[in-house]
Formats: sequence, structure tokens, C-alpha cells
Amino acid sequence: MGPHHWLYTIPLRLRSLFRRGRVEQELNEELQFHLERKIEEGIAKGLSPKEARYAAMRAMDGLEQRKEEVRDMRRIHWFTDFFDDARFAIRSLRRTSGLTAFVVITLALGIGMTSATFSMVDALIFRPYPVPHPSSVVTLVSTTHDNDFDDFSYREYLDIRDKTKSYDGVIASANMEAVGFSAEPGAMPRVKGGMMVSGNYFHVLGVEPRLGRAFREDEDQVPGRNAVVVLGPDFWKHEFASDPGVLGKTIRLNGTDFTVIGVAPESFPGMGIFGHPDFYMPLAMARVFSTNPRKNFFEDRDDRELNVKARLKPATTMQQARNELAVLAKNFENEYPKVNHSRGAAVHTQFEARTMEDGNWKFGVIFLILALAVLLVACTNVAGLLLSRARSRTREIAVRLAIGAGRFRLIRLLLTESLILASLGGVAGIAIGYGVVEWFHSKESIVFMTDLPAGVPFQMDRRVLLASLALSALSALLCGLAPALQSTRVDLVNALKSADVDVPGRKRLWGRNVLVVAQVSTSLMLLTASFLMARSFQHSLLDGTGFAKDHLLMVSFDPRLAQYNTAQTQQFYKLLAERVRETPGVQSEALTQNVPLGQDGYDGVAFVPDGFQMPPDRENFNSTMDTVDEGYFETLGIPILRGRGFLASDTAEAPRVAVVNEQFAKHYWPGADAVGKHIRLDNSAGIPVEIVGVAQTIKYQDTRERPMDFVYLPLAQHPVSRMALMLRSSGDPLQLVQSVKDIVRTLDANLPMLQTRAYEDYYLNMAVKGPGIAIQLVGAMGVVGLVLAIAGLYGLVAYNVSRRTREIGIRIALGAASWDVLRLVMGKGLILVGMGTAIGLTMGFALEQLMNSMLFDAGGVDILAYIIVVPSLFLVTMLAAYVPARRASRIAPTQALRYE
Amino acid sequence: MYHSLGNRGEPVSKPSDLVQGTLDLLLLKILALQPMNGWAISQRLKQISGEVLQVSDGSLYPALHKLEQEGWITAEWKPSENNRRAKFYSLTRLGRKHLEKETANWSRLSAAISHIVRLEEA
Repeated sequence: MGPHHWLYTIPLRLRSLFRRGRVEQELNEELQFHLERKIEEGIAKGLSPKEARYAAMRAMDGLEQRKEEVRDMRRIHWFTDFFDDARFAIRSLRRTSGLTAFVVITLALGIGMTSATFSMVDALIFRPYPVPHPSSVVTLVSTTHDNDFDDFSYREYLDIRDKTKSYDGVIASANMEAVGFSAEPGAMPRVKGGMMVSGNYFHVLGVEPRLGRAFREDEDQVPGRNAVVVLGPDFWKHEFASDPGVLGKTIRLNGTDFTVIGVAPESFPGMGIFGHPDFYMPLAMARVFSTNPRKNFFEDRDDRELNVKARLKPATTMQQARNELAVLAKNFENEYPKVNHSRGAAVHTQFEARTMEDGNWKFGVIFLILALAVLLVACTNVAGLLLSRARSRTREIAVRLAIGAGRFRLIRLLLTESLILASLGGVAGIAIGYGVVEWFHSKESIVFMTDLPAGVPFQMDRRVLLASLALSALSALLCGLAPALQSTRVDLVNALKSADVDVPGRKRLWGRNVLVVAQVSTSLMLLTASFLMARSFQHSLLDGTGFAKDHLLMVSFDPRLAQYNTAQTQQFYKLLAERVRETPGVQSEALTQNVPLGQDGYDGVAFVPDGFQMPPDRENFNSTMDTVDEGYFETLGIPILRGRGFLASDTAEAPRVAVVNEQFAKHYWPGADAVGKHIRLDNSAGIPVEIVGVAQTIKYQDTRERPMDFVYLPLAQHPVSRMALMLRSSGDPLQLVQSVKDIVRTLDANLPMLQTRAYEDYYLNMAVKGPGIAIQLVGAMGVVGLVLAIAGLYGLVAYNVSRRTREIGIRIALGAASWDVLRLVMGKGLILVGMGTAIGLTMGFALEQLMNSMLFDAGGVDILAYIIVVPSLFLVTMLAAYVPARRASRIAPTQALRYE
Repeated sequence: MYHSLGNRGEPVSKPSDLVQGTLDLLLLKILALQPMNGWAISQRLKQISGEVLQVSDGSLYPALHKLEQEGWITAEWKPSENNRRAKFYSLTRLGRKHLEKETANWSRLSAAISHIVRLEEA
């Protein structure tokens, strides 16, 4: 059959499909004609008209069936049947509107939670880079003992770019940083987020600017020569009202004039998950921005601040690229032994980069697992409801089967019902998902307390929607299949005989029982999980932070935004501290590079403890550090356990000193006094620093962290640009803001004050409300799961009661007490709850271990959680079973026996 | 004795391929001789085969519609002898080709079967 054959038949088939009414009519007419001729024949043979008609009808053997066969021949019946099924399903669903509503709500809850977590996991792990061919973009990292994801230095980047052959382009970017921005030369600078990138950044990524152009290669060649900038799309919209005249305009960044040469497209908000840069500058302009002041960005090979990515050549495999880079790293090690000692390099795909770096993605996965658990509970609930509903239609189904409908056909009909339910539930669920994501966005200001442009990346975009729709379809199948299969396996004779048929064979109810057990165990697991999380969090809060959080004002500065050099910066801070100390209302002041429990990460310091024999593969140890001034320990109320804090006499000319925390002292000099010991910075030939004091260990980065090593260096000996001023006030800390403003204005009117707030508010958001959101989410899931389980159990027991009403009536008539009836009806239910509890406990236990390993380092088993959750669940479920059971025990026998 | 082509009295199922193919061939051949409606076809078949072959109504119309879907016959509503409207089928060019092919197949098949059936027992 050639193609011309198909061309001929398609119109016929389409006609069958679209002009069904007409075609039906013609078929009727045709068969009618045949019938009449047959009757004529019969009459001609001598039968009476009536007999002839009778004989003809019999001969034609069932007109309807013939028609059905003819329709079958047209081979489009599956499609039209679907419409019929759908119409019928909608009608029957509307008849039991209460049940339908409940099912839809249940499904909506399950699908809604899952689609919200889909959006999380998508944003954190799977969403591809917003560039063409994102799968070929790989991340290059530098690796050491302590850090598998270290940055490269400028020189290293250039070597990688020029000496490797695996890539179609190697790009580099620095972390997004605070930049002082003024649209006009005289205006007070505001803090915006800028990102330094290599000249080939946009070109290699394949991002076409919406306006103007991207950087040229030559613009990133000579340090300081080309002051050009590309704007981010949102920034252009908000700051310049999408004015195309912005091209060629001069703006001032950190006091230096830059020319706007282009605007990035809306489709490219940035490569990072959270931060979206306001503008991009070439690496060559690094001197203007906040690079490490102690090192030369362009020359020092150990000034590692660059994030390197590359486009893998189509012909090259990951393994080849990895090998090539490993060889290059070895070469670095040989050529520059001092700075590249035991330092390797690796290449990672996007997925690897997102998942291997310890981070937020684990939360997303945990939430996804929990949400899927909720969905499972919802589906089992729905399946149970559909089962009981199908049971009540046994007679109808039996009749259908008897008149010749195929079993498969009936299953399709029932599945259509669950498909419709799942579609409704899916749509509602997606709406709920949107709602949850919106809720996340509304909490943005809590989670991101920063001046930089950052936002919650979760979105219900196309991929998430597709996944949610697929999930709905899957759940339709899941929920609908079991009831459909079971209810069509009906014993026809029995079904037609009595309206209330149910031969409760063991096998028949088995499915139902499994459902209840599954529900109970899953909701138990969810509740336990949220309880555990809440408790662990509570613990960490109660433990306290180790320092005094109250009455503190914090104000951040970064003099580099006003183009200060190191000397000017030091002078600024010295004067600031002096003047602030004299202000009335200020009890004490402190300057610190990072506030504790803040959003910014602490710097690290490499050192060698004096007198230590370093193992052969290590050049130094690492510790977290902070740069502080003399007032720090007093202002934050951190006790000095031994020795002293910093003094004004620890100046740049004085001997180098440091203060360590108790954890550090215990770690390196257990049993001995750390005061008086020395450490050398960077390596064993580095600057010796004397430890003059041991401070109490506090919580530095996270309320739930384990005690960590910590080193403090004095600001006077260790200049840093970005610092936070912390003032302890006698009254409300915010009252001091104006005084600080006045002081800063006298020192420099062009220097912006960043992040001005009461420390306690900051702490509340960072350490309390933030994690609180996560706990709320899990708790919500647990409650939803429990509600579903309760409804499921109630439904099951009520169903049992309705099924056995006649039997119960008889029992009561024969003298059974209410207690007996209660036991009869609830007994099975309780056994199921018991089984569910046991399984749920095991699962909850396993989940606790998983969570411990991933998140809280809490270790051990939290008995209290189980003690509270398990009996509560038991009680609640017993209540759910009790209510319908009690009703059963109250059945008047006469009424029950009359029940048909 | 007559053989009825079709599945009279049995539960709903599709005719076996061999029977269906044979029926198709017969219908096509009858229509090749002259266009006619469903009733006339069943009468003609009975007549030509001397009452040996009778097609049950349950098999006739599905078969006709299938042939129409395949494009081997085409239909037209025309008034019949008693001025009632009836659906008249006729062979298409494609159908004619298919008929030739199937006829050749049938000859080969029946010759082979006859040959075997006529073999002398040893």
C-alpha cells in the first residue's frame, strides 16, 4: 500500500471522526434498508408481516451489536469512546459531589506540595544555565586537602585559557560584590551588586546583548585601560527605566567613571542560582573593586578569587578534559612549588558542581522525599475512596458486563474517571504549588538580608509544570488502577442478585488494609521528621550563641567603594572608632570584618603552629578567622578565658599578635596553655604571630554548628576593607543611627553606610526565622499527611460499618452488647493502625539517621519525639475509628435488618 | 448443507483472518461484476454459489465498511428498484488491483490444498 492509498483513506477516517452524527445516521439507514428487504422476503415466502418482521430481526441478530461491529471497523472508536466515557464519568462524579470534592482536595494537596518542592529541586539542582547549549558548560575548580572547590588566581586562569585544548572558550568571573554606584557624578553612591568577568564571558556563553554589545577581547587585556560596563536586565529596567539612551552613558562605580556599552538580555539573569548581578565589569578593572588588598590580583598566583567555567568542545569527553587539567595542575605544582604545593584541579559538570558542593540542594531533596510521601498518602487515600465508591456501583458494573461490555472497556471507563479527578486535582495542585512558591518569595526579605540583588530562585516554570502534570497523570493511574481492576472482577450472578453484594474474601480486603497501613506509617514518619527538626532547632537555639546579642547596632562599610587605598581605609576606621566612642549613648564600640551568624562567610587563614612537624603532604593548616579591633570582645560580651584581648598598643609597628578561641587551643595544644605560643602565617617560613589570648568558643556561622577552630587578628596589623561597626548602646540601638550618620558625613560624605540595623533583628532573621521556615514547611506536610491518614481511616471504618450493617443488626438483635460491636468494627482497624505505627516508627528512625548525617550533626536518637508523636497518632487514629464504630453500636436492629 | 461465513451466535469477536480474507475476496469479486447494495450482495452470493455460501448479516456490513475504509470500494447513495434510497458499493481502481492480487493468491492456495488432499493414501 503506497502513500496514495493513505491519502485516500484519511479523508474517510476523518469523516468518520468528525461527522459522526451524519455517518451514524447513514449506517442506520443502511441497516434499516436491509431489514426491510428481509421482511419483504419473508412476506413473499408466505409469513405474516409480524412473523416476517420477527424472523428478520432475529436473523439480523441484534441491530445494536452489528452497529458496534461496524463502528469497530472504522477503527477510531477508541477516541470517541473516550469522549463518551468522559461525559459519563463527569455525570457520575457530579452525583457524588461530596466524595468528588474530597478526592480532588486530597489530590490537590499532594500534588501541590510535590510541585512546590519540584520547583525547589529544579532551581537548586537541575535548572540548566540560561545560555544556549548549557550542557557543554563545565566548571573548573582548584582542589586541596581541605577544599574541593577552590577558586583560581588570575595568572592560573590565563594559563588554563591559553594552554588547554579541550575547550571552545574558558571564562572567569569573580564573586558578585558590593559596588558603590552613582548614575550621576555628584550623587551619593548606593550599593549595587557587580560582577567582574573575563572579556570573553558573554561571547563564550553565547549570550547576545539586548542592547549594545558585550566586551571585546582587547578590552580585558591591559589592567585599568578600558572602563566599560555591561548592565544586567533588571537593573536597566529599574534604574534606567529601560531607556535605550543609556548606551554610551557614563556611570560612576566605586568612584571611577565607566561607560555603558551594553545591556544583557532578559533571558540571562546570571549564572548563579541566587544572585543576579546588576552589572558586569571586565577583570582588567579589578583594581577598582574589592580584591584582596594584601595581594596583587594580576600577579600573585595565590590570590585565588576567580570562578572558572568553560565550554567543552563537542569532540572532547569529560575524562579527557579532566586528564588534561590534572596534567596542567601538576605543571603548576612543579613550576610554582611555593603556591601550588599539593594542589590539584578538576572539571565538573553542572550537576556535579551543584550537588557535590555541600549546600542547599540537600534541603531540596529532603523536602522532595517528604512531599512525595504526602502525595503517596493522598493517592492511597483516593484509591481507597474510589474502591469503596466502585463497590457501591457493583450492580451497575455487573449489568454492563452482562450485556457484553468488555472488561477492558470497563476498566477504561473507570480509569477515565480517575483521570478526570486527577486532572482537577492536578490543576488545583498546581495552583497550590504557585501559592507555596509565592509564599517563599514573600519570605525573601527574611532569607536574604543583604544589600545585594538576590532572590528566591524557586519558580513554577515550564519544566516544573510539565513534571507536575506528569505526576498528576501518574497518580491518576495509581489511584484508579486498583479499584478499576478489582471492581470489574465481579461475580456476575451474585452481583445481579442482591444490591448489597460483597463477598468479603480475605483477598478482597487485603488491598484496602495495605492502604490504611501505608497511610498511617507515612504520616507517622512525616510527623516524626518535623518534630525532630523542630526539636533539634530548639536545642541549638537554647544552647545559646555564646555572646550578647542585645542592644547592638550594626553598620557595615566598605571604603573601597569610595576608592580608598589601604592607608586611607585604616585612617577612616581609626577616626570612626574614636569619634563613635565619644558619642553619648554608646557603651562600647567594635569593628569586625564579619558579624557572627551573619550571611557572609568568614575568611580563612592558613598557618603553621610553631614547633609543629607538618605531615609531608601538607604545607599548612586552615582555620576560620576574623579581623577585629580592641573593642570587639568587650562589646560582644565574649569572655577572654586566658591572657588578654587586643589593645590599642597592638599597632602595625608592634609585634604581631593573635587571639584564638578555646576550641583552637584545645585542638593544637591540648592540655597546655596556648598563650605565648606562636603560629606562622601561610607556611612554616611565614610571619610569626604570638597568641596573646584565648577567647570562649561561640557560634560563628550557624546556630547548629559544632565547635570550630577560630583565629582573631587585630585590624591595625591586618588591614581589611570591608568592616562592620558594632555599637553597644545603653538604650535602643537604632537611636544611635543618626549620630553615626553625622560622624560618617564629617569624615566623608561620599561613603555609603551599608546594612544598618539592630543586630538582634539580623540575628532573628538569619538564625531563627530562616530555619523556622523550613521547619514550618515540614510541619505543614506532616499535618497534611495526618489529616489525610485520619480521613482514610475514618473512611475505611465507616465503609466497613455500612457493609456489615445487616450483620451488625443481627448481632445486636441476638444480644450483642455495644462493646462487642465496637470491638468487632474497630478491631481490624486497630490492628492496622498498630502495624502502620510499627512500620512508621522504623521509617521515622531511618529518616532520623539520614537527617542527622545530612543536616544537623545532632547524633543519637531523640526519644522525646517518639514519645510524643506515637501516642498522639495512636489516639487520633483511634478516635477516627471510634466515631463510626460508635454509630454502628447504636444501630437499631429493626432498621438494620430493613436495610437494603 | 451450507457453510455460513461469519460468526453467528458466538460472543463478539473478530473473524479469523482466513475467513475474513476469503469473504473480502468474494465481496470484491461480486462488486467487480456490478455495483450493488448490501442486500443485493448477500442475495447474489447465495444465488451464485447455489445456496452453499451464505454470509450472515453480522459479518456482511462490517466487512463492507472495512473494505470502504481500506479504499478498495466506494459507496454512493442511489435510489434502488423500489425507489427507496440505498447505499450502492462499487469497486475502485485500487480495489481492482487488490482483487487481481488476491485472486492469484487464492488460486495458488487452493491448487496447493487440492494437490495435498488428492494425494493417494499409501
